[in-house]
Amino acid sequence: MLESLQHLATGFTIAATIHNLFYCLMGTIVGTLIGVLPGIGPIAGIALLIPATFGLHPTSAIIMLAGIYYGAMYGGSTTSILLNVPGETASVITCIDGYQMAQKGRAGPALAICAIGSFIAGTIGLFGLVFLAPPLAQAALAFGPPEYFSLMVFGFVVLSNVTGASLLKALMMAIVGLIIGTIGLDPVTGDARFTFGSIYLLGGIEFVAVAIGLFGIGEVLINVEKPAGMLEQRVLIPRLRELYPTLRDIKRSIGPILRGAGIGFGVGLVPGPAPVIATYSSYMIERKISKTPDDFGKGAIEGVAGPESANNSACQAAFIPLFVLGIPFAPPTAILLGALLIHGVSPGPLMISLHPGLFWGVVASMYIGNFILLVLNLPFVPLFANILRIPKKILLPLIILFCITGMFTVNNSVFDIWVMLLLGGIGFLMRKWAYEGAPLLLALVLGPKLEVAFRQSLMISHGDFGFFFNRPISMAFLLATMIFLVIPLIRVIFKKTMKGGGRQ
Amino acid sequence: MLKKIMIGLLATFILLVSIPLQAAEFPTKEVQIIIPWAAGGATDLIFRALAATTGQYLGKAVVVVNKPGGGSAVGYTEGMKAQPDGYTLTSAVNPLTILPHQVKTAYTYKDFEPVINVVSDPSMFLLRSDSPWKSLKEFLDYAKKNPNMITVGNSGAGGGVHLVALAFEAATGVKFNHIPFSGGGPSVTAILGGHINAVSVSPPEGIEHVKAGKLKIIALFAEKRFEMFPDVPTVKEQGIDFVMGMWRGLVAPKGTPPDVIKKLHDAFKQGMDDPVFRKNAKDMVVNLHYLGPEAYGKLMASEHELYGKLLKEIKK
Repeated sequence: MLESLQHLATGFTIAATIHNLFYCLMGTIVGTLIGVLPGIGPIAGIALLIPATFGLHPTSAIIMLAGIYYGAMYGGSTTSILLNVPGETASVITCIDGYQMAQKGRAGPALAICAIGSFIAGTIGLFGLVFLAPPLAQAALAFGPPEYFSLMVFGFVVLSNVTGASLLKALMMAIVGLIIGTIGLDPVTGDARFTFGSIYLLGGIEFVAVAIGLFGIGEVLINVEKPAGMLEQRVLIPRLRELYPTLRDIKRSIGPILRGAGIGFGVGLVPGPAPVIATYSSYMIERKISKTPDDFGKGAIEGVAGPESANNSACQAAFIPLFVLGIPFAPPTAILLGALLIHGVSPGPLMISLHPGLFWGVVASMYIGNFILLVLNLPFVPLFANILRIPKKILLPLIILFCITGMFTVNNSVFDIWVMLLLGGIGFLMRKWAYEGAPLLLALVLGPKLEVAFRQSLMISHGDFGFFFNRPISMAFLLATMIFLVIPLIRVIFKKTMKGGGRQ
Repeated sequence: MLKKIMIGLLATFILLVSIPLQAAEFPTKEVQIIIPWAAGGATDLIFRALAATTGQYLGKAVVVVNKPGGGSAVGYTEGMKAQPDGYTLTSAVNPLTILPHQVKTAYTYKDFEPVINVVSDPSMFLLRSDSPWKSLKEFLDYAKKNPNMITVGNSGAGGGVHLVALAFEAATGVKFNHIPFSGGGPSVTAILGGHINAVSVSPPEGIEHVKAGKLKIIALFAEKRFEMFPDVPTVKEQGIDFVMGMWRGLVAPKGTPPDVIKKLHDAFKQGMDDPVFRKNAKDMVVNLHYLGPEAYGKLMASEHELYGKLLKEIKK
């Protein structure tokens, strides 16, 4: 513990040189911009800037590239809140209440609470990174295929009914997501499934295309349908004193932020779709324990504060397996791994002892970077909130334009744009008939991983289903799932017997 | 009629004049390398580093464009359809000779002109250091007695290292239980956690853990030993004539003029020899292996045939 603090102090002397501060600032600014623009994610951003770091000292290079990654997590919520356009997996949930807040003229507080929550969660995540890195990384290794499978099942059952509206509709959407997730090459045999001979479908349907289509384009279409007079209107005119959260907002948010930070950190250590599970879980928990669960989906600040914090601490936690095991659990950290290799640093069990300056320097720079991001983001809140002053007839076509260009930059693929537009049409119909997009997206992310883990497990166990039950972690998740499913049932039966039949 | 002939003649004339002219001036603009995978993978990184040093020798910048999707089919199809003028190259890696056997692709390696091979990494099997098998012989003896019991992870069904494992089975007469993962990273994680018995990988995957003593190389499918681990013998030394690995090079669309290919080849060769690139490659633990157009073409042809045979075996 003390030793860690000493190392960290050395790290600060490295990170606080003018040189490294500059690269930290550059990284976080670029990251914020990348996060704000829908479509362009941290992956593309880091990859594009790797060659620009060839001439730099490895520590400076990684400080800058890491800054892009966590900087993008700060910016990612902006378009979700203002325009209902999620730029990546992590900001899907923020759309639900963030966008509703913006519609009610509270875009400012929503944006500000994201920055504040991200800062607090990022800092908590960093403390975890400093003190718990090696033991936690080892613990993460205990997750093999059967553990994954059970975790995914748990995630599915517990997280599907995101807003708690109609369970039936949520499950229907989850099944549609599962079906879409089967398109592409079979992960075990390598055969093409449901591709109809098209090479563009071999790699499956791009998640970002579905997310932007269902939420962003669908939202634009809903707006277009409204009477012409409404298109002339501005969405809302936020007054200056309403731009920042009130004391009450902060009071309501502090619990969700701390819980979100904890959830995010724990989930971030587990290989797999951490941002999705972390943000969905945080949202579900906040809704469950809220005194006013009906506010959720209608602009509850807790529904923004929790998931955004979870997202950020998950992002910090993701550095642990990268640095300690040399194994990236998430695509952006995979790119960072590549960048480290190019600079002659191989992350792995020996990294901290072989390159202490780099490890502690980068960790210290993350503290500084988190602070820079807070200072950088809060003044931008009025600027971003003012985007909503643009009349809808000008704003809506611009959103479509942004979505199309943003989509193209993800994979340089025109096919993805068509997928996005098609799903935009479907998203419009779903909105009209009150089907939610969030369970579909959850299933689309978890489904393929669930399938792979299931098949891997059975291949290892030679078809023995007992494999899932005689491993403790796996068993625990399955039990938790069972309890979660059975409790409401018992409650209903109990109520019925109490009331002698009860209501229909 | 006369008009048509005139147009035809004019067109022929323009063509005749422009081809040598173009070649003399090549390159007049930047050269693009299509990477059929997302940014950040081994192929992407190595060619980004090579692009950075080659620009100065070519006289124009070399830019990398990622066209992921379809398990590399999207990128290769686009690379094949590009103008054969030398301005669009594609990075050719094992899947170029694997995927056409698995699904109906619009291309095979024959639709491209080889330019240069840059990297060849030998494949290998890794075990946990505390694994009960101390030598290749013990490992194979156990596998022989217990067919389908040793779980061997790979980075994806039908991918390069999966086929290496299948070929090794065929060469030694054993049967493994192959477990596919989505990439080299997850398969290495699984063996570190003890969820599988062995893993089929290609450097730099797993190298760090071998250095740290967590994993050991049980079978090295290379011509010669690793510089880094001089104590690890190749399987060839142990009496199994088996060498296989991953290669990464550059190809141009079919029909690219030979003198353009030569210019590109010469520039990339110089880029490869550049000390900055050599250092980057060394840091990434990749094994540089230069092959000229002819030798590279032969390599792709023999690999294409080999993978075709292997994949037929799986289907049986």
